[in-house]
Amino acid sequence: MATTLEPPTGEAAPPSAAPSQLGLERDAERADSRRGFLIGLPSLLYLVVFFAIPLGIVFVYSFGNRSRTGRTILGDWTLSSYERLFSSLVMQITGRSLGYAVLTTVVCLLVGYPFAYYLATRPPKVRGILLVLVMIPFWSNLLVRTYAWRVILGSDGPLVQVLNAVGFSDVRLLFTPFATILGLIYGFLPFMILPLYASIERLDFSLVEAARDLYASGWEAFRRVTWPLSRPGVIAGSILVFIPSFGAYVIPEILGGSRTTMLGSYVVLQFLSARDQPFGAALSMAILAVMLAAALLYFRSGAKDVA
Amino acid sequence: MTELSTAISPPAAAITTSAVSIRGVTKRFPGGKGAEPVVAVDDLDLEIEDGEFFSLLGPSGCGKTTTLRMIGGFEYPTAGSIQIFGEEVGLLPPNRRPVNTVFQSYALFPHMTVAQNIAFGLEMQNVAAGEIKERVGDVIELVQLEGRENRKPKQLSGGQQQRVALARALVNRPKVLLLDEPLGALDLKLRQAMQLELKQMQERVGITFIYVTHDQEEALTMSDRLAVMDHGELLQVGAPEAIYDKPRTRFVADFIGDTNLLTATVVDDSAVRLSDGSAIRVENDRPVGSAVTVAVRPEKLGLRRVESDRDPTLDAIDGHVERVTFLGNALAYEVTADAGDPRVTLRIRQGNAPGVEHFSAGDAVRVRWVPGSATVLED
Repeated sequence: MATTLEPPTGEAAPPSAAPSQLGLERDAERADSRRGFLIGLPSLLYLVVFFAIPLGIVFVYSFGNRSRTGRTILGDWTLSSYERLFSSLVMQITGRSLGYAVLTTVVCLLVGYPFAYYLATRPPKVRGILLVLVMIPFWSNLLVRTYAWRVILGSDGPLVQVLNAVGFSDVRLLFTPFATILGLIYGFLPFMILPLYASIERLDFSLVEAARDLYASGWEAFRRVTWPLSRPGVIAGSILVFIPSFGAYVIPEILGGSRTTMLGSYVVLQFLSARDQPFGAALSMAILAVMLAAALLYFRSGAKDVA
Repeated sequence: MTELSTAISPPAAAITTSAVSIRGVTKRFPGGKGAEPVVAVDDLDLEIEDGEFFSLLGPSGCGKTTTLRMIGGFEYPTAGSIQIFGEEVGLLPPNRRPVNTVFQSYALFPHMTVAQNIAFGLEMQNVAAGEIKERVGDVIELVQLEGRENRKPKQLSGGQQQRVALARALVNRPKVLLLDEPLGALDLKLRQAMQLELKQMQERVGITFIYVTHDQEEALTMSDRLAVMDHGELLQVGAPEAIYDKPRTRFVADFIGDTNLLTATVVDDSAVRLSDGSAIRVENDRPVGSAVTVAVRPEKLGLRRVESDRDPTLDAIDGHVERVTFLGNALAYEVTADAGDPRVTLRIRQGNAPGVEHFSAGDAVRVRWVPGSATVLED
């Protein structure tokens, strides 16, 4: 600006105008961040009241002690509930839950990927219909749908009768690991399909053509291009299936037997039947820690390639 | 580079075979529910010679990209035969054809580095690791991307991405390179630089290039020969000069460059008469008295002041300047004839060179035709 070269006249004072402008800018920025905070405030309050505080209560209870009558004593703090996590029974149930959850995730991925791929490569009209079909189960309650499986798998159910008719006598499906895992797969498959669909649908299929052009067979093109580029969907879907499977309660309660108890049921058992609140709380914290660790690990391993 | 060119020379036994031979190829895509199938390419015959820079030119939807995709193997022809150096490939998948493609959007693998992108085709062909490294290094040098081997495509500029796409295809030493509007995403200056570079590279490696574009200027600049397509059909095939100077149909004349299309009546086999009564010398083989369309390029017409013209009887139209547009390197005039119904309007372009007279709107002028500069169209 040429004004800076002019001798000061007294009325026009550019040097003082600059700092005051800076002050206004800072005020405006503060107002912006204040508005941002106000917009977020309701959700923040909701999370604090219904998530952070209850979690805090569970955390505090996990260090609690028990009276001889089984009442929880807060104040006489102890780590004994955490020590009991390493008992063989807990280890066995944890191992089972982990196994079921991994199996469920793998089967969901194997079933969900081809379906999501098929879905993503349909014309938009067909895609819409198929997507609605994927989401229809959400319209009714999981509890109700799981009870339906009880009818299907029961000893008078159609499946067992068919198996009997073809010569397999004395088959039991209900209350077995098979029923539990089947129920988990059924319940959580949509959570695998939807993120997979989202990431495959976004894929630029000219990349697959480029791979084929560069002498890749169909399988090689999938392995080298489609699969790595759909990894964000694989990771998101796996987490969305693994975490609820690991802590599942409703499905193993309804379809499983006493020998298929999973961690979720075991936690409920502590709170409701055994009335051992500190142990139940410690179990919950342990599950939370395992899930958090698993999620972090998975995210980090995926983030490297995708970026 | 010598290595690349020797690898591409045709087998001795097949000296007379074309690089690509397309015979009677038709491609129909199924239409919507109950709709007629869409004919994208209609009974196409085309021979592309070895070492040629050949362009397929036409508006969007004319079938040029479908034709290229059928050569590449991304679409299979509904009918007809496609041969590459004498080998029938029409129904082979892309990975079993000796061609490579530079895609319109480059289609670089975003999760791989520049070097990994370029090495992909060689890896898929199980080339030994040492040779891959060597060939990738050579081709990176060819496209001047040294030092960027370990970047991801996203970290490169548009022009650099273009070079990677080119390198990724050329490293395989294909017999034919297919290019699908590869410069469409670049800005004008870079596009012009890349046009020149592509042409030079093609001459150096000696590979047959088949180049799809809707940009007529690009096709004229780069091609040895080009084909103009519309509605799935081939309208004209030839060298750029031949197509520009002697367009056969109204569509070709209109699509390539600027042109005056005038209705005229045939006088004899060497002249026609325009609606203002002036006789113009044009070679033709139409019956005397029939109505024809004559095409003439604006830069082939001369503009003089009426009083300075000595020969007003033949190859001249008297008129007035309607409009003048200054284009920098040239001036564009619109001149309306003084006689005739409807009045003939001509577009004329004159270079902005020293000594060339400039005219203003309203000036009385005489438009001079150079014999042989016009052509009679088939439709």
